[in-house]
Amino acid sequence: MNRLWTVLSGLGFAVAAMMPWVTFALNDGNYPAKSTLQFFDAPFLLTGFRLHLLVIGLLVVLFTFLPLPGRPRILRAAGWAGGLISLVNGAYITFKGGGLGAITAADGKVAFAAFVGVAAGALLIWSGAKAAPGIEFSWPERPSRWLAYLALLVSFAGLLLFVAAILTSGGGITNPYSAGQFMSFLAMAAGLIAALGATGVLRWIGELSEQHRYFSLLVMLGCALGLPFTSAGNEYWMTVAVNIGVYAATAIGLNIVVGLAGLLDLGYVAFMGIGAFVAANLSGAAAAAFDIHLPFIFAAIAAALVAGVFGAIVGSPTLRVRGDYLAIVTMAFGEIFVRSSQNNIGGLTGGSNAIPGIPPLELFGTGFQESISIGGYKLAGGVLYYVLIVLLVALVMGVFANLKDSRIGRAWIAIREDEDAARAMGIQTGRAKILAFLIGATLAGLAGAVFAHKTSSVSYESFRFTESVTLLAAVILGGMGTIPGAVLGASLLFVLPETLREFQDYRLMLFGLALVLIMRFRPQGLVADRHRRAELTTVDDPVEVAAR
Amino acid sequence: MAAYLEQLVNGLVLGSIIGLIALGYTMVYGVIQLINFAHGEVFMVGAYASLACYLWILPPDLAGTWYIALPAMILFGSLVAALLAIAMERFAYRPLRGAPRLAPLITALGVSVFLQEVVRLFFPDAKQAKPYPTPFIEGGITVHLGDGQFTIAYIRILLVVVAIGLAALLQLYISRSRMGRAMRAIANDPDTARLMGINPDRIIVWTFVIGAVLAGVAGVFYGGYQNTINTDMGFQNGIFAFTAAVLGGIGSIRGAVVGAMIIGVVKTIAGQLPFLGGTQYDYVWIFVVLIFMLVFRPQGFFGETERVRA
Amino acid sequence: MSAPVLCASEVSMVFGGLVALDSVSLELHSGQIVGLIGPNGAGKTTFFNCLTGLYVPTKGRVELSGSVLPKDPAKVTVAGIARTFQNIRLFPSMTALENVLVGRHIRTKQGPLSTLLHGPSFRHGERAARSRAQELLAFVGLSTVHDELARNLPYGDQRRLEIARALATEPTVLLLDEPTAGMNPQETEATRQLIFAIRDTGVSVVVIEHDTKFIFSLCDRVSVLVQGRLLVQGSPEEVRGDPRVIEAYLGKPPEEVAEIVEEAENE
Repeated sequence: MNRLWTVLSGLGFAVAAMMPWVTFALNDGNYPAKSTLQFFDAPFLLTGFRLHLLVIGLLVVLFTFLPLPGRPRILRAAGWAGGLISLVNGAYITFKGGGLGAITAADGKVAFAAFVGVAAGALLIWSGAKAAPGIEFSWPERPSRWLAYLALLVSFAGLLLFVAAILTSGGGITNPYSAGQFMSFLAMAAGLIAALGATGVLRWIGELSEQHRYFSLLVMLGCALGLPFTSAGNEYWMTVAVNIGVYAATAIGLNIVVGLAGLLDLGYVAFMGIGAFVAANLSGAAAAAFDIHLPFIFAAIAAALVAGVFGAIVGSPTLRVRGDYLAIVTMAFGEIFVRSSQNNIGGLTGGSNAIPGIPPLELFGTGFQESISIGGYKLAGGVLYYVLIVLLVALVMGVFANLKDSRIGRAWIAIREDEDAARAMGIQTGRAKILAFLIGATLAGLAGAVFAHKTSSVSYESFRFTESVTLLAAVILGGMGTIPGAVLGASLLFVLPETLREFQDYRLMLFGLALVLIMRFRPQGLVADRHRRAELTTVDDPVEVAAR
Repeated sequence: MAAYLEQLVNGLVLGSIIGLIALGYTMVYGVIQLINFAHGEVFMVGAYASLACYLWILPPDLAGTWYIALPAMILFGSLVAALLAIAMERFAYRPLRGAPRLAPLITALGVSVFLQEVVRLFFPDAKQAKPYPTPFIEGGITVHLGDGQFTIAYIRILLVVVAIGLAALLQLYISRSRMGRAMRAIANDPDTARLMGINPDRIIVWTFVIGAVLAGVAGVFYGGYQNTINTDMGFQNGIFAFTAAVLGGIGSIRGAVVGAMIIGVVKTIAGQLPFLGGTQYDYVWIFVVLIFMLVFRPQGFFGETERVRA
Repeated sequence: MSAPVLCASEVSMVFGGLVALDSVSLELHSGQIVGLIGPNGAGKTTFFNCLTGLYVPTKGRVELSGSVLPKDPAKVTVAGIARTFQNIRLFPSMTALENVLVGRHIRTKQGPLSTLLHGPSFRHGERAARSRAQELLAFVGLSTVHDELARNLPYGDQRRLEIARALATEPTVLLLDEPTAGMNPQETEATRQLIFAIRDTGVSVVVIEHDTKFIFSLCDRVSVLVQGRLLVQGSPEEVRGDPRVIEAYLGKPPEEVAEIVEEAENE
C-alpha cells in the first residue's frame, strides 16, 4: 500500500518535469530549461532542473522496488530534493516574473508544474518515512588497501566534479536567472548528499580517509589542484576560490580556538587584518610605511609572526577571564583594532585610504595574476594564486589535524569540556589557552598575507566585526572542531553571496538568522564532530546529570 | 575649563542613556546568566518604533506638542521593544535554556545581527541615518564659567532625571515587590524556586520586558538629543552598556548606573584630551577600560566574588 | 616507622566568617589506605581541595614526601597527588581512552613543534601513551569500552574511568572522593577490590566515603571529621568502638548504634 504512494509521488515528479512551468516569457527572456514546454510534447529535450526532477522521479519508482540499505531515508531525501527544486523554481519564477500568474494561469495558458512537484515532494516525504527498510548492508570495516585507495580516489574525484558542477550551475554572471538555477541545483545536490548519507557510504569513506590519512590528504590535494581543469576553471571562479581559500584557512585557525579549545573569539578577523597590513607594509606597496620590498615568503612569515604575537597578547586575559566574558574581551580587542586602523595608527594602515598598490606575486618572472599554459592547455588567469591558496589551506589543515589528535589537542579539548578537571589532571590551562590563540592567530596572519597580495589593496573595512561574525558562522555552520566543517562553512558563506547576488543585501540578515536556527536545531553543524560538542548540545548526558 | 565641564555634563548625559540600557543587561544576566547581546538592538528598535510613531501615527498637529508627543513616543517605543523582547526570549533563548553556555551567546549574536539588518533593510530609508525630532521643550540652560560658556539642552536634563529616577524605582521594585523577590529566587536557584511554586518562565519574560521598556525609553531620549538615529546605534551603545554593567558589577542595579556614568565621562573626557588621541580614539578607551575591568576585577565594583567550585 | 608520604598538619580553612576546617591533621604512610568519614558538611571535600591545591589553606601546611605542596592544582598533580571528584568530572565528549590519555598529559612531553611535524619521536611517545592508557583501562576493567564517549558510559564505569584517569598521572597518593556513591553492593565490592589492587601497586590512597561499613573493611586507618574538626583518628577498630564517633557521627539512639556495631563486628 505504501509503495503505491511512493510510486505515485515519483510519477508526480516526472509529470511535473514535463509540464509547463511558466505561462509567459519572463522580463529577462525565457526561463532556462525551456520551462514553457507543453505537456509531454518533447520529453527527450528536458535539460536543467526539469531533467533533475525527471531523473529523481524515475529513481524513486525504481528505489521503491529495489532493496537498498536505508531506503526510507533515501526516499525522504529524494522527496526533499524534488520538492525543494519545485519550490525554488516556482518561487523564483514568481519573484522574478511578476506574481502568481506566472506559475498558475494567464493568457489562456496554465503552468501548474511547480504545485505538482511540491505536492509530490510532500507526499514522498510523508510516505517515504514509512517505506519498508531495505536490506541490511554494512560496508567492509577494514577493506584491503587497494580497495580503500580506489574508493578514496573515486569519491574525491567525484567530489571535485561535484564542486565544479555546483559552482558553474548558475550559468555564469551573464545569466539573469543564475540565482534560481543555482539554488535549484543546490537542492538537488543536498538531496544527493542526504541519500548517499543514508546508505552509509559517506561515513564509510570518512572512516577510510581516517585510516589512510596521508593517502587521502594527497588525493584531496590532487583533486583540489585539478579544479582549474574543470568547467569552473575560469578567472572568475579562480578569484572566488582564492577568496574562499583565504577565509577557509582563517576559519580553520578560528576552529582551533573555538572548536578545540572552546574559547569564543569574536575579534578573530583582526589577526587576518594584522597579517595583511604587515605584508602590505613589507612588500613595497606605494603607500607603505616602510620602503622595503621583502620576497613574499619572508613577508608572509613576518605577517604570521606578528599576528601570532598579537594573538598571544589578546589571549592573555584567558588566564583570568572565562566563558562569555572572554568573548567580550576578544570583541573589544577586535574593535580596538578596527578603530586604530581606521585612524591610520602610526601611518601603518592607510586609514580610510587603505594601502593600495600592493604588487602581485611573481615566480620566475610570471605574475600570479597572469594566465599560464601547461602542455598546451591554457589555464585561466589567477590560477597560480589558486595553487598557492590550495597549498596554504592544505598546510593549515595539516596543522589542525596534527594538533587535534595529539597531547596538545587533547589538552585543549579537556579544557573545553571541564577546565577545573583539566587542571586537576596537571594541564597548565593558561599556557594551553594562550598557545591556542597564538597558533590560531598565526594561521590567520598567514592567510592575511596572501589576501593582501591577491586583492592588491588592504583596508580596515575588510576586518570589521561582521567579518568575524561571518567567520564564526562558517565554523559553526560547518561543524565545530572539524576540518571539512570549516572548509564547507567558509565555502558556503562565500560562494552563496557570489551566486546569489540578487539577494546580496540580505546576506547578513540571513547569517544572523542562520546562527539562531543552527543553534536551535543542529548545534553540531553540518559536519558533526565525532566528539559531539559538549558546549553546544543540550545537557542530556549522564555525566552532567549525575553532576547535579 | 568650560570645555571640560561641558564634556563632563555630556558624559553624564551619555551615561544616562547607557545606564538605561545597562539595566537590561544586568537584570537579564542577573536572573539567567545570559549576556543578551541583542539587547542593544532592542534599544535601536525602540528608537525606530518611536520615530515611526512620530511620523505616521501621531496626527501632525499633535506631534508638535511635547507633552503629548513625548509620552506617546515613549509608550509606543517601549511597547514595540517589549514585544520584541518577549518574542526573542520565547523563540530564541527559551529553547536553549539548560544548553551549554556558548550556545545562547552565539544565538544572541545571531539575533543581534538579524535585527540590525531587518531594520536597515525594511524601515523606509534606514540605510542612511534618520533625522529625529526633539520631543521636548527646545532650548536649554546656559552656563557661564570664567570666559567660556555652554548650553545644556532641557531634554538632556530631563534624560538624566528620568534615568536616575527609573533606576531608583527599579531598585525599589526588585527589593520590595513580590515579583522582585521571585526574580532574586530564580537568580539564586531556579530549581528550588520552581519547587516553591514560582514559574520561572513568567519571571524571565518579565525580566526581559522590564529591560526592554527601559531600553525603549532610552531610545526615545537618544534620538531626542542626538537628533539623528542609525541602525548601528544599538550595537555601539549596547557594547558601552554591557561594559558599564560589567564595570558596576553585573547583576547590580546601582552598579549599572554608576558604571554607565563612568563610561560616559571616560568617553567624552578622553575625546577632549589630545594626548589620548581625541575623539577618534574615544571608543578605544572604553574598550581598554572594559578589558582591564574584566581582567582585574571581573566582579565589578558592586559584584560579589565568584567562589571556586570543585 | 618511615616518614609519611603525605602529611597535612593543622590545616585550617576559613571562608569569610565560616570556619570550614579547624586545624585538621592527617598522616598517610606508603602503602596505606586511609579513610575520611564524617557527616555532610563536615568539611571532607574542602579538606581534599586543600590537599590538591584547589584551595590554599588559611593556616597550616601540606607536605608531600617532605616538600610543601605548590599552590597550583596542576603542579600538585605533577608533584604526585591525583584525585577523583565527588560529582564525576570526566570530559564527557571524549572517549574513555582519550580521557585516560589526558591523564598522561604531564608524563608525556611532546611540544608544539614536534606535534606539528609529527616526527618519529612524537609518534613513539604517542604510541607509548596509548598503550599505557590501554593498560590502565584494562586494570580498572574497562578495556572493552575504550572507544565509547565518556558521557555514554554507565555510572559505575564512569567512576572507574575517573580512577583510571587519575592513575594515568602516576600519582604517589590517590584521593578518592566518594568512589562508591550510587553503586549497588556488587559494584561496591568490585571497587573495594580495585582499591586494594591500586594499593598493591604502591600507591597510597585516601578515601572519602559515607558508607562506614565500606570504610571499616577497606582502610588501615580512619579519621572522623565533624564540623571541620578532627574528632577521632585511629584504626578501624578503635574508631568503630569510640562512643563519641557513634554519637556525633551517627547521631542515633544507643540500641540502634549497638546493632550497627555488632553488624560491623560480624564482618
